[in-house]
Amino acid sequence: MKCNVINTPVHNVDGIAKVTGRATYTFDVTVPGMLFGKILRSPHPHARIKNIDASAALALNGVRAVVTGKDTLGIKQGIWRRYKELCDEQILPLEKVRYIGEPVAAVAADTEEIAEQALDLIEVDYEVLPAVYDPMEAIKKEAPEIHEGFERNINVTRHIEWGDVDDAFDEADYIREDWFRCSGQAHACMETRCAVASYTADGKLAVWTSTQSAYYHQVLLADVLGLKESDVRVIAKYVGGGFGGKFELDAAQFCSSVLSMKLCKPVKIVFTREEDFIASKRRTPMYYYVRTGVKKDGTFLAREARVFTDGGAYTGMGATALYLTGFFHSFPYKWRGYRHDGFRVYTNTLPSTSMRGFGTPHATYCSELQIDLIAKELGLDRIEIRRKNGHTPNYEVPGQATIASCGLEQCLDEIEKWIKSRGELPPNRGIGISSYGFMSGGIFNRFDTPYSFSSAVVTINYDGKVDLHVGAQDIGQGSNTTLAIICAEDLGVRLEDIRVHSGDTAECPPDLGAWGSRQTLMAGNAVKMAAGEAKRQLLEFAAAQMSPNIVYDLDIKDRWVHLAGRPERGLDYFEVVKKALRGKDGQRIMGRGYYTPHRKGMISPAYSYGVQALEIDVDPETGKIKLLNCVTAHDCGQPINPLGLTGQLEGAISMAAGYGFLEDIPIEDGMVMNPNLVDYKLIRAPDMPETEVIEIETYEPEGPFGAKEAGEGLTNPTAAALATAVLDAVGVPIKELPITPEKVLNALKEKKAQ
Amino acid sequence: MSVKCPVCGKAAKSGTAIDCARHMFGTGDKAHRAWFESQGLSYIDLLLSQTTEPGNKAYVTVAELIEKAQKD
Amino acid sequence: MEKHLLRITVNDRDYELFINPKTLLVEVIRDHLGLTGTKRGCESSSCGCCTVIVEGMAVKSCSVLAMQVDGMTVTTSEGLEKNGKLDAIQKAFLDNGSYQCGFCTSGMLMSSKALLDENPSPSVMDIREGIDGNLCRCTGYNSIVRAVAAVARGDYREDKQ
Repeated sequence: MKCNVINTPVHNVDGIAKVTGRATYTFDVTVPGMLFGKILRSPHPHARIKNIDASAALALNGVRAVVTGKDTLGIKQGIWRRYKELCDEQILPLEKVRYIGEPVAAVAADTEEIAEQALDLIEVDYEVLPAVYDPMEAIKKEAPEIHEGFERNINVTRHIEWGDVDDAFDEADYIREDWFRCSGQAHACMETRCAVASYTADGKLAVWTSTQSAYYHQVLLADVLGLKESDVRVIAKYVGGGFGGKFELDAAQFCSSVLSMKLCKPVKIVFTREEDFIASKRRTPMYYYVRTGVKKDGTFLAREARVFTDGGAYTGMGATALYLTGFFHSFPYKWRGYRHDGFRVYTNTLPSTSMRGFGTPHATYCSELQIDLIAKELGLDRIEIRRKNGHTPNYEVPGQATIASCGLEQCLDEIEKWIKSRGELPPNRGIGISSYGFMSGGIFNRFDTPYSFSSAVVTINYDGKVDLHVGAQDIGQGSNTTLAIICAEDLGVRLEDIRVHSGDTAECPPDLGAWGSRQTLMAGNAVKMAAGEAKRQLLEFAAAQMSPNIVYDLDIKDRWVHLAGRPERGLDYFEVVKKALRGKDGQRIMGRGYYTPHRKGMISPAYSYGVQALEIDVDPETGKIKLLNCVTAHDCGQPINPLGLTGQLEGAISMAAGYGFLEDIPIEDGMVMNPNLVDYKLIRAPDMPETEVIEIETYEPEGPFGAKEAGEGLTNPTAAALATAVLDAVGVPIKELPITPEKVLNALKEKKAQ
Repeated sequence: MSVKCPVCGKAAKSGTAIDCARHMFGTGDKAHRAWFESQGLSYIDLLLSQTTEPGNKAYVTVAELIEKAQKD
Repeated sequence: MEKHLLRITVNDRDYELFINPKTLLVEVIRDHLGLTGTKRGCESSSCGCCTVIVEGMAVKSCSVLAMQVDGMTVTTSEGLEKNGKLDAIQKAFLDNGSYQCGFCTSGMLMSSKALLDENPSPSVMDIREGIDGNLCRCTGYNSIVRAVAAVARGDYREDKQ
């Protein structure tokens, strides 16, 4: 289809605000009369709170209030709201703390310095309890109980199975078993978690916060504060990064709200970088066991996997990570029999949750490295074995998912070509590959309704300019731009004609927000429907004006309202709007749109696919890895915003490669050992490889204009490609992330000894 | 003789007790778990040993028990 | 504590402030002057979100006391635009999609600008090293490198006059 706006290079709709320093984040919000809040955190990984004495703190000049669990309704909350047993977190706990850094009390004072001084004056009497930090220890009989009623500290279990796994293994010529360990990772958003809460005497609460879903926080805050949802207004105009870490209720939002309700004054809480590391949430660490059976010719038959995830102290979104790692460990291949058992185990460490890729980078790493080991063992070509077993269009994962578009095979062709073009590589250089896929939004919804949903409102004003209201959340991924492009394309106007309103529950329709790669497809479909409805109303009027022969349909393209078959016959869009609204007593043209997936299986309405190749150098003396080139063949359906797409790709590589060889959250006796940006290593500009993206265009029937997910799935392959690259370069499989120089050296030593 | 699962009666194609044990672990539903407990074993502990230690100790232990149950 | 007089020129505007001598430059810029384009992302001078230009040099404004720049000239991201006309580096960031969440962008712009002022034709590695002190969690840096290279190549030259 010929598009005017889609897939053309455009400036993001918020570009000017961001390059001129005008964009105002929660971190920048100031409200007159605002107080500053600080949070007192537990120094113990597991302890009973016997008493809290805040009298000395309250006596300090400038301190306005101190709140503890006793000042709250004591409601246990969680993002799986429909499953009460998984709502297990009181943000200011009444009885027990379960990890170092858990909030115990919060102070509001005239200045940040006074609030900080006050923290030192609060006396907390703890009874220290035995603690456990590793899921494999926490699951043992003798381990301390972290939450009552969860036997062996098992928080959630998941069993996914299809086909006859045992029979399929019986037919295998070769069976391979491996153990892997995947580390945690910090979201490390440049804007730490923060909130400004302002409660007023009319019973209304406004909260500015850094969130991936204003709607989620509106509902969660109403739940825990005992307010009506509509009395809570959540505002998040600009968000300094999210990556899966900002859609659960956090202590900045909760404590500032509780303090503000007590004082009827605005209160601001900003996490320090250290607080953001020790007491927010993180990517879920996992232990993986994988057993795979194949035929001699490389046909995949059966896979059986078990995963033990380190849940940390609370459930949060971690239960979904367990589910998704289970499903995507099969991806993107066909299995006659597949069985995945997942255990999420509580430990006395910071809670783990979703993070970009949502359990899938782990699953992909374990799967792809093992596939390369199998190919090596059987003397098969690594591209061929993937091609032989890969998903194809219209494939159905038995009982799980229906796939429509799938460009995996073309992606493999492109990557094969690229690898060949590199020719013979020098010693200690290698190219790793990884196939991957991801969902375009989850169908499941454990928050409110059974299925997930998005909604949008399109308003055409008297002057023809368009207001687009969406509940989707722009957290930097550029969803406002993507949705504006979809709106402009469908309505037949230009991008500059659209003004997007998002990130404010008072003016935007409800939407589950930015997670699970849902917005392009789900919010995109809602916008397309809303724009279509507005356009229909306008064209009804235009038809009356133009009275064309009945056989002609009307259309709008680039501000020109015309007969579909005879584009020379038409009217100026702005004129048509002006006439249509004349005599309408101030009414404007409005279209409403919504989207909920139906009959698309249990996981997602559509899946992105791709293959990534990563070329690296390994220094056999030091074990150090240098990233050289990263080429990704990527099927995201119809690209909508090409500049944004490249940005998503490159950003995903930096985050996922970091996960592969740099980033880790070591915990000793419950304490995070690197809670700052000096010791926690992020990729910096000189570490980045050269990047190239090869777009494989497919058309996804379920997506708006054929589009699907294009950002989160890109985080899945890079750690895997890094591991397979090390295998290719120096012949050792590193089965534990991150692939540090030490692990490479040890593996090389071991190999030499053999 | 083909070994059958003492819970659901399913026989592995190979008919061996070790494959029957694999089937019992892999199914892992409440009924199968209850059988482990009835034998004085802990399903979770066996699973842990199987998934964390190299080798096949847990499967072998269970296979021996299945064979014993079959004989009784 | 006794307040000290600070005379400072920020974005071509002169200010006189009485401040606690322990006040950091970033605090003066954000809290006293209300120029919130400059951000803070850490307490260890590792993220570069607070980078500004002091007398032509990129400086992490969380790592200097405001009194240390008494009498000096400071430029923040708000000062790049002149009379509604964007600076070349801002245009290049827009054209290359060199920002996503935008939280690091102000600091990134200032480091890039200072780099180009010092070395108008940097190599790709010069550019990468020039922004080594600035963390970005969204973009993976390559689009920023392309933007700086585009300015160095002269793609925006007519704007410089």
